[in-house]
Amino acid sequence: MLPYRSRWSVALFLAPPLLLFGGAVLLPILQSVYLSLFEWDGITDMQFVGLDNYAHMVGGDPTFTTAFVNQLVYVAICLILQLGGALLIASLLLTITKGREILKVLYLLPAVISTVAIGLLFQRIYSYEPTGLLNGILKGVGLGSLTRPWLSDVDTVLAAVSAPEGWRFVGLYTIIIYAALLAVPKELEEAARLDGANAWQVFAKIRFPYIRPVWITTTVMATTFALRGFDIPYLLTNGGPGQSSELVTTYMYKTAFTSTNYGYASAMSVFIVAECLVAVGLIYLLLYRKADR
Amino acid sequence: MKKFTLAAAAAATALTLSACGGSSTTGVSPGNVNPSGEIKAREISWLLSRPANGSVITVMKELADEYTKTHPGFALKFVETPDRPSYIQKYETLAAAKKLPELFDTDATPFAAKLAKQGQMVDAEKLLKDIGLYTTYRPSALDYQRFDDGSLYMLPFEYGAEYFWYNKALFAKAGIAIPTSLDDFPAMCTALAKAGVTPIAMAGKEQWPLERFMAYQPFRMEGEDYVAKLKKGQAKFSDPAGTKAATWLADLGKAGCFQKGFSSVGYTDAENLFTAGTAAVYNMGTWELPALATDKLPADIRDDVDFFTLPTIAGAKTGPNDYVAPSGIGMAVNAKSYDPLVRDFLKFALTNYPSRYAAAGALAPTKTEVTIPANATPLYKKALTTADSVGKLAMPWDTQLDPTTNTKLQQELVLLVQGDITPQQFIETMDTTLAQNAPKFFG
Repeated sequence: MLPYRSRWSVALFLAPPLLLFGGAVLLPILQSVYLSLFEWDGITDMQFVGLDNYAHMVGGDPTFTTAFVNQLVYVAICLILQLGGALLIASLLLTITKGREILKVLYLLPAVISTVAIGLLFQRIYSYEPTGLLNGILKGVGLGSLTRPWLSDVDTVLAAVSAPEGWRFVGLYTIIIYAALLAVPKELEEAARLDGANAWQVFAKIRFPYIRPVWITTTVMATTFALRGFDIPYLLTNGGPGQSSELVTTYMYKTAFTSTNYGYASAMSVFIVAECLVAVGLIYLLLYRKADR
Repeated sequence: MKKFTLAAAAAATALTLSACGGSSTTGVSPGNVNPSGEIKAREISWLLSRPANGSVITVMKELADEYTKTHPGFALKFVETPDRPSYIQKYETLAAAKKLPELFDTDATPFAAKLAKQGQMVDAEKLLKDIGLYTTYRPSALDYQRFDDGSLYMLPFEYGAEYFWYNKALFAKAGIAIPTSLDDFPAMCTALAKAGVTPIAMAGKEQWPLERFMAYQPFRMEGEDYVAKLKKGQAKFSDPAGTKAATWLADLGKAGCFQKGFSSVGYTDAENLFTAGTAAVYNMGTWELPALATDKLPADIRDDVDFFTLPTIAGAKTGPNDYVAPSGIGMAVNAKSYDPLVRDFLKFALTNYPSRYAAAGALAPTKTEVTIPANATPLYKKALTTADSVGKLAMPWDTQLDPTTNTKLQQELVLLVQGDITPQQFIETMDTTLAQNAPKFFG
């Protein structure tokens, strides 16, 4: 326990970052809440409309509903690719000794490529005419019947725009989970093996429970990132064709800057904040409960 | 991290917007184009949405430098934006904060009309008349910039007529002639597709090229009246012109007119389909002449390229020489910061601009003669001569409709052409969207 005076000085040093956080994050959120109660195009007078924007959002806007459902699918695909992929790769990395560092760097590489470059890259990969990488491979292995314009087909576009986002951050989560797995005490694993536990039992009963706190953090990170996912879908398809790859974020952006409806866009941004908080709450609830058992 | 930055930026923008929604002070009234006082040199800015190394910026930079020599202390700062979304974001945020620079680019959109209505822009028609340049402009170049009521607040810097460029060899291969009516398009596409050719190269990712096709049938059937009424909610998509357009587009889709996966194909890729001889038709403006009618075009298809203008239909209300000929995004002059210096510089720049711009081989918005580049094919001259006889303008719908209806239309058009929705569903969705949003902008 710090002496009384030291605690004061700690509080003093913590105050500036708190102010900065408040000014840069909390204040804009409050501003958005305020703006969401108005109808405003940016140049003429603001009109107070109460909760009309929220009512329209929940009840009278099919595009928003589509965007919300799309966002959930997008989150699911991102999470499976990022967390599932990361756990698998990290576990495999543990089993090898040679070239581990190089592999780690390679997996992390996509995370440092600029988003616009990733957009252009996947535009080429999914291309139908001229034949892109994906369709080329399918043709090459005799699955020519599966080739399609991935970004124009309403059935495949959502998965096609989610995959690059998932792929991009697999490396980042791999590194985090790998570091956590390294900290699992070897004696515990050895003891379990001596008692006859197989590889799966070692993983499920020892390793995973040990890295659970890190797992919760990465889940929270990946979920909130995916809920705010915007740039790759926006660059690849701009929400199209139709609304097949429209996310709440791209719809919010269009509402604000194309339709100049700042009030309604603010209501959507408030929704995104609420959505993130609910998601984080759920993750803690589910994963901590399991931990208590 | 990008996403976080973006969310933060959006939030910060919202903050700025609300913080800056103060009162406006107008420097001059929009009609006072020749304010009294002496010319005091200072730095002025121009918010741009134009290609960074394009002719417009290059020529205007030259002119600004020359003006600085005679007016020390003057500078024209070019506020460039990398792409259209970032320009729109900047433009709308600055407009909301009432901090637009002296000169700023804008299309004749409903949003710009609101700004003009508030007295934030200088009357461009009066300005051009005052500096003695009004009659030097092509009337259609100015008409493109006008608002519905005929008022003019933007100055054009470019001009281009939009044609259907086509590949004669591929048409011969399919055994067909160029279409004489819009209604011949589905049959043209079927024949071309049968010959193993992509009928029309479409840059679906850009959205406006497909939206042009929506405008063609109504323009031939009813002239400009239809879209003028439609955008205000006084006409409907379910009216004969709208229904005809929707059915026609669905037919084009069924006939396989556009390359598979066109909705995610960008501008350059679509053009490459045509210039590589893969696609038979390409609907584009004369600003692409350097790529379509010079020795930049591959030798094997250079002599095969020709063009036809927008075909008509039986009983058309508009003539064969009435079609789309945009004069590009216009430049507005901020009334709040308009003073003798801005007027004097604009007089100097606009007087000297056309001849320099035309010297680079591009069509100026004025009637200035264009210097044809040395590497041009004979088609170059033909395209320019045809552009001189454009009659009435077909207005592109993307600058006409309110932005929400426009976005929805662009999205639904793709579904309609791909066959994901029927013309009936398309019409219903569009009429609902129009009814909800048109009154907000034109009420």
